[in-house]
Amino acid sequence: MDSNLVQFKKGVLELCVLALLARSDSYGYDIASRLSAAIDMGEGTIYPLMRRMQKDGLVSTYLVESSSGPPRKYYRLTEGGRKNLNAQKAAWTDFTRAVAAILELDLEKTS
Amino acid sequence: MNERDSFLRRLRSGLWGLPRSAIDDIIADYEGHFDAGRAAGRSDADVAASLGDPARLARELRAEAGLRRWEDERSLAAALGVIVGIIGLAALDLFVVLPVLVSVVSTLFAFLLVGLVTALGGGLMLPFAFITNLPGFTGDRLQAGLLSLGVMSGGAALTALCILFTIGLVNLLVRYGRAHYRLIARGSNAPLRD
Repeated sequence: MDSNLVQFKKGVLELCVLALLARSDSYGYDIASRLSAAIDMGEGTIYPLMRRMQKDGLVSTYLVESSSGPPRKYYRLTEGGRKNLNAQKAAWTDFTRAVAAILELDLEKTS
Repeated sequence: MNERDSFLRRLRSGLWGLPRSAIDDIIADYEGHFDAGRAAGRSDADVAASLGDPARLARELRAEAGLRRWEDERSLAAALGVIVGIIGLAALDLFVVLPVLVSVVSTLFAFLLVGLVTALGGGLMLPFAFITNLPGFTGDRLQAGLLSLGVMSGGAALTALCILFTIGLVNLLVRYGRAHYRLIARGSNAPLRD
């Protein structure tokens, strides 16, 4: 993968995790497998990120008994995480809108 | 040995130096991942390949632990931890950064040494100045005393300045390190599932 693209995707990874958790609580494997298809990344990347977000107080964890094997660790968005998501989402929307406007301008000129 | 065990073993060996509880916590996360993968009908080999390189994951986890420790306690050991962690993390860019870092750190160390010695010298001069005046000094005792005091505080100021600068430098390194986390690439034999 192009290294610029990697940096680019890394930047939005946290935003995507926050957005997924805003919809419903989830566990590591589920988050990783949903994101690894969308953002071409190694699934292992998710755990260092989750630890960092937990220490930053964006997510909290709780255990849920599972029918097969040991209990599963679920992640839940905290109040701080929700605020962070809203702020990042607004910044992302503004940014992509501005970029899209510039790209369209370019398109009109060339056509 | 199967892929699951060898992945976990390589991860564990890469995490040496972290507290026991942190290592167990991290290993449990990845064990859970393998279990969930099995439940979803994937082979251990497939899951291990999609997870990425365990050594690289361990380096990132260890570097982050080092940065956290520096943020919790401003100690020399924690500062060294930051530097070691970042050296492990950013293997490539380091050829550019390391020479700069080495010269800055050695200059800083030299200034720190000068500051300490000056402060110490001033402190040693002070009692002599009041008891016997300084050898070869033409002024009176009060002048000698003030001179010693001046030298001592000058040295202390230089030392303090160096320490402040060191703290700033390590904080800068923390930001550099955080910017260098990367997405860990999937293993080359991992199937693409889009």
